[in-house]
Amino acid sequence: MFDNARTVMKTKHGNSEEKQMVDGSISTAQEALGDIVYAELPEVGSEFSKFDECGTLESVKAATEVYTPVSGKVCEKNTDVESDPALVNKSPYEKGWLFKIELQDSNELDELMSEEDYQAFLKEQE
Amino acid sequence: MTKRYLEVIRLGRLSYTAALKIQDKYARQILDGLSDCKQDQLAIAHLQKLLLVEHDPVYTIGIRRKGYSESDIKKLQLLGADFHYTNRGGLITFHGPGQLVVYPILYLKNFSMGMKTYICHLEKTVIDTCSHFGIQSHTTPDTGVWVGNNKIAAIGVHGSRYVTTHGLALNCDIDLGWFEHIVPCGLEGKGVTSLTKESCHRVTATEATRPLLKSFGTTFDCTLVDPK
Repeated sequence: MFDNARTVMKTKHGNSEEKQMVDGSISTAQEALGDIVYAELPEVGSEFSKFDECGTLESVKAATEVYTPVSGKVCEKNTDVESDPALVNKSPYEKGWLFKIELQDSNELDELMSEEDYQAFLKEQE
Repeated sequence: MTKRYLEVIRLGRLSYTAALKIQDKYARQILDGLSDCKQDQLAIAHLQKLLLVEHDPVYTIGIRRKGYSESDIKKLQLLGADFHYTNRGGLITFHGPGQLVVYPILYLKNFSMGMKTYICHLEKTVIDTCSHFGIQSHTTPDTGVWVGNNKIAAIGVHGSRYVTTHGLALNCDIDLGWFEHIVPCGLEGKGVTSLTKESCHRVTATEATRPLLKSFGTTFDCTLVDPK
């Protein structure tokens, strides 16, 4: 389920303040969940530690907790996904992102899987 | 492959709140075990439980709460039932005497399953149980198990770090009149049914238990340890 989420973080480096943002989407993990019918995303401004539960996705009669793979403050959530949860399935990498979080500790990024590792991880899960 | 064991706990008849506390206690033990790195997978696997319960009359809704007003809820309570918000998936449903409620508190990684597969296994467990009573049931795009256009078992679960709570509710000899006050699972134009109604003889929750446990064990490929 959602420990997969940490594997598909897209990182955006270097704005003027050298803040790093992590943009969480769940890519292939959505296939294991089925069609998403409901999304509860973290409020902008809320702060989380690594692996805290910060939202819920519902699919096929199952409510599954979403947790953040990194510590930080939520700076944007995707309200499009809240109004049209199916975006998570239709466009996991583009329109179906869940929230953006301002990194507290950029070292935590090193612990995330790369895209390559993630694909290998998924194979292992099959 | 290692053989899996799962302890069955028969709670008898219990209020929704009391059973929820028990569910949370066992789920917490697994979650704590997972965060304690010294615990190995085998130790975690032994913390899994299969809870069986019949509830006092209660209406519950899942995490999608839009569309239920205070007055709707009051109306239901006036019927003599409790009302609870829950963190499961799915919409409104009813639990009461004569319904076998099954709460598998599992660590899904131990079963190499994701959420979608888990739900399918719950559905299959019910279908096999129905067959035992000579009832043909099926799944539809709407989760749950159906006999024709009528739902015989409802499913709604919660998952956190692969640990499951909530589960399935199989109508045995429940008074189906309780469902007339709601649109079960939000599906207009569909009805509800029970093992008793479909098999034309009374099937109690106790009578349905053994076939259900057998189906569960086969479907989930595990040995159930039932102290009773």
